[in-house]
Amino acid sequence: MTRGFVMVAVVVILIGDVAFSEENIPNLKDPTMIAAGHDLFLGKQCAHCHGADGRGGINLTRRVLDPKGVFQSIADGREKSGLRMPAWRGVLSDDEIWQATAYVLSISQQSK
Amino acid sequence: MGKMTLVATVSLACLLCTATIALAADPGTEDPNNWPQYNRTTNAWRYSPLDQVNKENVSKLSVAWIAHGGDITMGIQETPLAIDGVIYSITSGDRVAALDGKTGRELWSYEPKLDPLVKKVLFAPYSRGVAVGHGMVFIGTVDGRGIALDQKTGKQMWETHLTDFANCHGCNFTSPPVIAGDVLTFGSTAGELATQGKIFGVDAKTGKKLWEFNTIKDDPHSWPGESGKYGGGGAWMPGTYDADTDTVFYGTGNPGKDFINSERAGDNLYTDSIVALDPKTGQLKWYRQEIKQDVWDYDSPYEVMLFKKDDKNLIVHMNKSGYVFVLDKNDGKIENIWPISDVKNFVKDIDKRTGELIGRVELPMNQETLICPSTFGGRSWNSGAYNPKSGLWYNNVLDFCGYLKPVAQKDDPKDYGTGHTGSNDFGRLVLAPDGRKPGRLDARDPFTGERKWTYEMDVPGFASALTTGGGLVFNGDPLGMLRAFDADTGKVLWSFNTGSGMRSGIISYAVDGEQYILVPSGWGSYAALLLPPLFPQLEKVPAASTLIAFKLAK
Repeated sequence: MTRGFVMVAVVVILIGDVAFSEENIPNLKDPTMIAAGHDLFLGKQCAHCHGADGRGGINLTRRVLDPKGVFQSIADGREKSGLRMPAWRGVLSDDEIWQATAYVLSISQQSK
Repeated sequence: MGKMTLVATVSLACLLCTATIALAADPGTEDPNNWPQYNRTTNAWRYSPLDQVNKENVSKLSVAWIAHGGDITMGIQETPLAIDGVIYSITSGDRVAALDGKTGRELWSYEPKLDPLVKKVLFAPYSRGVAVGHGMVFIGTVDGRGIALDQKTGKQMWETHLTDFANCHGCNFTSPPVIAGDVLTFGSTAGELATQGKIFGVDAKTGKKLWEFNTIKDDPHSWPGESGKYGGGGAWMPGTYDADTDTVFYGTGNPGKDFINSERAGDNLYTDSIVALDPKTGQLKWYRQEIKQDVWDYDSPYEVMLFKKDDKNLIVHMNKSGYVFVLDKNDGKIENIWPISDVKNFVKDIDKRTGELIGRVELPMNQETLICPSTFGGRSWNSGAYNPKSGLWYNNVLDFCGYLKPVAQKDDPKDYGTGHTGSNDFGRLVLAPDGRKPGRLDARDPFTGERKWTYEMDVPGFASALTTGGGLVFNGDPLGMLRAFDADTGKVLWSFNTGSGMRSGIISYAVDGEQYILVPSGWGSYAALLLPPLFPQLEKVPAASTLIAFKLAK
């Protein structure tokens, strides 16, 4: 194996790993991403506070949200007005956080 | 009276005086001026004998001082302590402060550097109180440590890592330890977590761990197969130390996964139980399980109240189901069981001699089932208050229900933000089917459940009540209204808008001959996140972390 081939292989693996990094916003209107995000939304019990349809105690459907803000809130958690959302970075991958972001945006004001 | 009799009487009186003074030097005794432990006294009554503020003059209460508690995240959930004119307070992030009880001026403060993992776990960053004794202030932290501070300076004296925080789904401490002589006992969170909840015994002077009691019994009949590995339980509220029998009593949390019992087809000891432990060794003296194989999230970590009645030593204890158990303190034998509300459908009835649940409602997978009371319980974790003058026990009753829907879930103790519940949520909350008001403050006989009076509310109470020798009951609601009731009749005698909701414990103390009522105000907790769909009034309640002290206007 040549040195050049190894370098290319490493780059390809790295690109594959960070395809949806925090800075690299994927297509959030992709129905597959939204569906995967909905599964995460339920499985990770986002519905505790946001409701199964986003209309829970912390109602997401009334909010105007931006992709990076939603990503950051899910990744690093959120503490505002005395309320607290746990941080998910390290528990969920960046890809999964973007999927959850896609679902949240699909039910928020921005996408309507 | 003869001379000798007089001498003997005076001597006895002096002996009693001496005894009283000696006892009053330590927290947990009956000095009426102090509130030295979580539920004030070892009988856990939340009764202050102070009577300067009474039915006749309570309308003259006015603000003496206001202090900011600290970070408002998840509100202020503590019951502060008051000892010899000093207030000991803990707020979000385990920030501890000592305040002058006359002015609210901060004397010292302490804030531990918390494990960053705290940001990911379910139960953080709130605490419900501190313990004071041996010249130290003791806390259990939200990253699983026990810490001791110098009572006069706030300087850290020792710390001990107790829970395996990173590997136990974030199991930690959200309540103060109990001082049982020279031993501290710490109860961990564990219901809703993929772990086995523990109670730890620690040397109060050095912080050395002495023992741990596993609230998940090592018994294949109780926990078939691997079901106990992540059985939950724990003891997330303070227990009661009874010096007479040298016993510490704890109520324990629910089994996991909360809403799925198919894999744990035993009784799931020692979840939803009272356990009586020897504080020196952690040995189990006796237990009484109140909810066998719980599938409705009916934890039992509530206050363990002690009574002497008709020559019997009794415990009165409630769990989330709303059933109140009256037990023999010495062996846990059932004396009576009564319900705090008739809004209940999870069973048809309960056998009042054996405690057996009759006609259980099981939860089919992937379907919603209406269960009353809701996962908030027939009462929340906030303590009731018992007044020996009225003979009544005052509790905030929650009369609403929830739809529970079990769904399959993997076991993962590293999935910190996801509850080990077997569900997507804690239940869709609804009002009671008969349309009644969703909450009330009830005054009942603690042994029979006979109700003397009730005060209905549009939004139920989620704070611990206070009752006093002045014939009063103080209660705060989530909208911010603090009310004083006539303890005998339930008539509202005074009210005050504290500016934020209450999720904490109201106390009373005295300094230099003046009685104070101290109220932590600051809406928060999971209640603030989960309740607004049922109570839209709560959406606009501002967050806060405030201590408000009242006294009579001069």
